[in-house]
Amino acid sequence: MTDLGEMFLAFARLGLISFGGTNVAEIERALVLERGWIDAQTLANGFALGQLMPGPNMLAVTHYGYAAAGLGGALVATLGFYGPTALVSAGAALAWQRHSAHPWVIAFRNALLPFGGGVVLAGALVLGQTSVTSWGAAGLAALAFLLLWRTRVNSAVVVLGAAVLGALLGL
Amino acid sequence: MTAPSPAPPAASVPEDDPATSAPPTPLALARMFAGVALAGIGGGLPAHTRRALARRGWLGDEAFAETFTLAQLTPGPNAVNLAAMVGARLSGKAGAAASVLGVLLPGLAAMLAVSVVTLGHPGGLPPTLQSALRGAACAALAVLLGAALPVVRVGWGVRGGPVITVLAFLALGVFRLDLLPVLLVLVGAGLVVHRPRRAP
Repeated sequence: MTDLGEMFLAFARLGLISFGGTNVAEIERALVLERGWIDAQTLANGFALGQLMPGPNMLAVTHYGYAAAGLGGALVATLGFYGPTALVSAGAALAWQRHSAHPWVIAFRNALLPFGGGVVLAGALVLGQTSVTSWGAAGLAALAFLLLWRTRVNSAVVVLGAAVLGALLGL
Repeated sequence: MTAPSPAPPAASVPEDDPATSAPPTPLALARMFAGVALAGIGGGLPAHTRRALARRGWLGDEAFAETFTLAQLTPGPNAVNLAAMVGARLSGKAGAAASVLGVLLPGLAAMLAVSVVTLGHPGGLPPTLQSALRGAACAALAVLLGAALPVVRVGWGVRGGPVITVLAFLALGVFRLDLLPVLLVLVGAGLVVHRPRRAP
């Protein structure tokens, strides 16, 4: 049985170190490689389900928590992942209203943005290694990307369509 | 996910927008953000948040843009940070808590239901469902890439950005190093490059 306290801290850390996007690479390192709470397939499945759910995309953490430790795990993972960062954000918003733009804020932003780009690319690589295991899967991913890039169709529709195609093709 | 604008935040920020209507109660904020969550299946939550706020006249465009920029700067998932910040700005601590709960609860309930069904099968999932999930995972990768490219483009335009982006990608994606030391080194280097200088 996974210790819920340790789980809360692990997910709180994952939430607090993800900047401007989803940090799939670090989530996989922490949950799959380091602690073995979930396997790579559960990681990919949860991420896909998270794209279909109402609300923030990383509700995948709810799925990971449930897979690792049932209902308590799901609640602890969600609270850990979103709670501390929300507190930091609310605090920052209240502080921001007191201090207006500071040169160091601009410097910090300029330092952070390129780093965030590397983080999301690393996440795509890690997820791709799990999801794209055949030419059919690669074609499906490319097709989905073209649709998202070229049309204004809702991404949930694309994910659902890909699920139907995957079932039909027997990926 | 919308790309952050490359422009730095405006140096002079008006203290407050003229109030277009009475400030919302925490409960009203929770209701609004639950609606935003339901509308934002598959992403685009910030865009939905903006529309919902504008429709109610609770937060002007200027104030929203500033809050959105700030949400990009704080660690954690953007959409939820944005909810926390909008809530704090409009209705203090209770507003922040209500907004975060509102944006999380619909998806939390849905994800729990789906997890119980998909993970409750002894001996794994039926093959058709596994194939469907693999297909969805391919599209989810495409969604991630689509959201990643604007972020990469913005970072690429910053002085020294391409070097930092490539190093971060190699360290985290290829060599699978721990994020925190990589973050400290690379963001530290970026801070040195971009440190505020006194105008000559």
